[in-house]
Amino acid sequence: MKEFVRTMQEFFWFSLRTIKSFRFARRYWTEILEQMYISGTESVPIVVVSSLAIGCLLTVEVGNQLEGFGAKLLTGRTTALSVIREMGPIVTGLMLSARVGARNGSELGAMQISEQIDALRAFGTDPIARLVMPRLFSALVMFFPLTALSDFVGLVGGGVVAQIYHHIDPGFYWNSALNLLVVKDFVVGALKPFAFAIIITLVSCFNGFSATGGTAGVGRSTIKGIVVSSGLVLVANFYISKLVLENLNF
Amino acid sequence: MIEFKDVHLSFSGREILKGISMQIPDGSITAILGPSGSGKSTIIKLMVGLIQPTYGQVFVDGVDISRFSEEQLFPIRRKMGIVFQGNALFDSMSVGENMGFFLRENLDLPEEEVAHRVQSQLKFAGLETHAYQLPDSLSGGMRKRVAIGRALIFEPEMILFDEPTAGLDPVSSKKILDVIKQLKQEKRLGAVVVTHIISDVFAVADNVLVLYQGELIFQDTPEKMRKCNHPFVKSFLADPEEL
Repeated sequence: MKEFVRTMQEFFWFSLRTIKSFRFARRYWTEILEQMYISGTESVPIVVVSSLAIGCLLTVEVGNQLEGFGAKLLTGRTTALSVIREMGPIVTGLMLSARVGARNGSELGAMQISEQIDALRAFGTDPIARLVMPRLFSALVMFFPLTALSDFVGLVGGGVVAQIYHHIDPGFYWNSALNLLVVKDFVVGALKPFAFAIIITLVSCFNGFSATGGTAGVGRSTIKGIVVSSGLVLVANFYISKLVLENLNF
Repeated sequence: MIEFKDVHLSFSGREILKGISMQIPDGSITAILGPSGSGKSTIIKLMVGLIQPTYGQVFVDGVDISRFSEEQLFPIRRKMGIVFQGNALFDSMSVGENMGFFLRENLDLPEEEVAHRVQSQLKFAGLETHAYQLPDSLSGGMRKRVAIGRALIFEPEMILFDEPTAGLDPVSSKKILDVIKQLKQEKRLGAVVVTHIISDVFAVADNVLVLYQGELIFQDTPEKMRKCNHPFVKSFLADPEEL
């Protein structure tokens, strides 16, 4: 328990220092651009593939269930609600937790083990401003468009499956999918990537910075970062949905 | 000058250092000798504020740095270059980029000045022809010299070596020890050399501190250490390989 409290305390100060180091964003703009490419552009394939698979699968299952009630034509609406509110953000969050979180944890863990982070500090460079802030900044910028892409691909995949598998006219699918969406559906889907960016980046970087015990320690800290950030993504997803959908009435 | 006053350090309930008091004078080479796990590397980290003592004070040029924040420590750290045991080179950067990295990071110097300083350190380290190579493609001795060049780039007042010859062959070890002596003779640069290799102490040190189980058991010149009656020092001198 004492160890847990101390870790939480260290995580709090780590997060605070990262947020404070946003004042160095202009100085480290090349690192930010590099991280935007790595965490954003390079994540496009995994986000597209996973969203497509989930969108297609969701349409198949939802269509089958609705058919039993004679409501197959509502497939588009149900798929759109699920994808935009929940599945798009959560699939993107989990994929990025695995991809970006693993990269942050292993790279920073290896730097910690090989004393490169100590070297940065010893020679007067703030490692949080140099290594963590650009990662958080780029995640905050890139996770939202990745989630939007995920939503779009999931809906397109669902549309294709709705036409081929359920024989629903594409025009009807898109009408039912988009016309009934309201502002709070977009708000709930848009808030999540920002929360996930903060969770995934801070947890994975903190675990990388805390790595001890050689190469095995890097592996442990990387796994811990992915597991904890994935769990927190799921919890945050639930609470954001609950708070927004219960409190926003338009 | 670096001074420790009754420094204690504990990690997870284990006491690593038990009341260390010592002085490291400027311009001389001080060796800290001890077996593996005795807390030698920890002492170097305390000197630059990479870790803080649990109790006691660390003074650098009369300033107590033991409770300094990272921002307060930056100017103190620039007075000291540090060569880590594993060199801590940035493996995605070339030798030249490694040497110039902290100049570009921390000083607002024109690129010509950075290039000039890097070239000068490459020359000192005998690595002019390796400037564009990655550290991984160099031998252990060459990597160590890159780390020394990087540590010298701010023109520090003192340089701290953590196990400078560990893992090197005898020829590379001698070259590194020669560099340490050369730095003192030509640049009047003081050094702290943490080592478990007793021949390194006799090769370079003006003063020696012996650390055993977190306590300093000897502080004097290497010559006087030969006459020391402490059982650990005697056994270390008799059969250092056993330790």
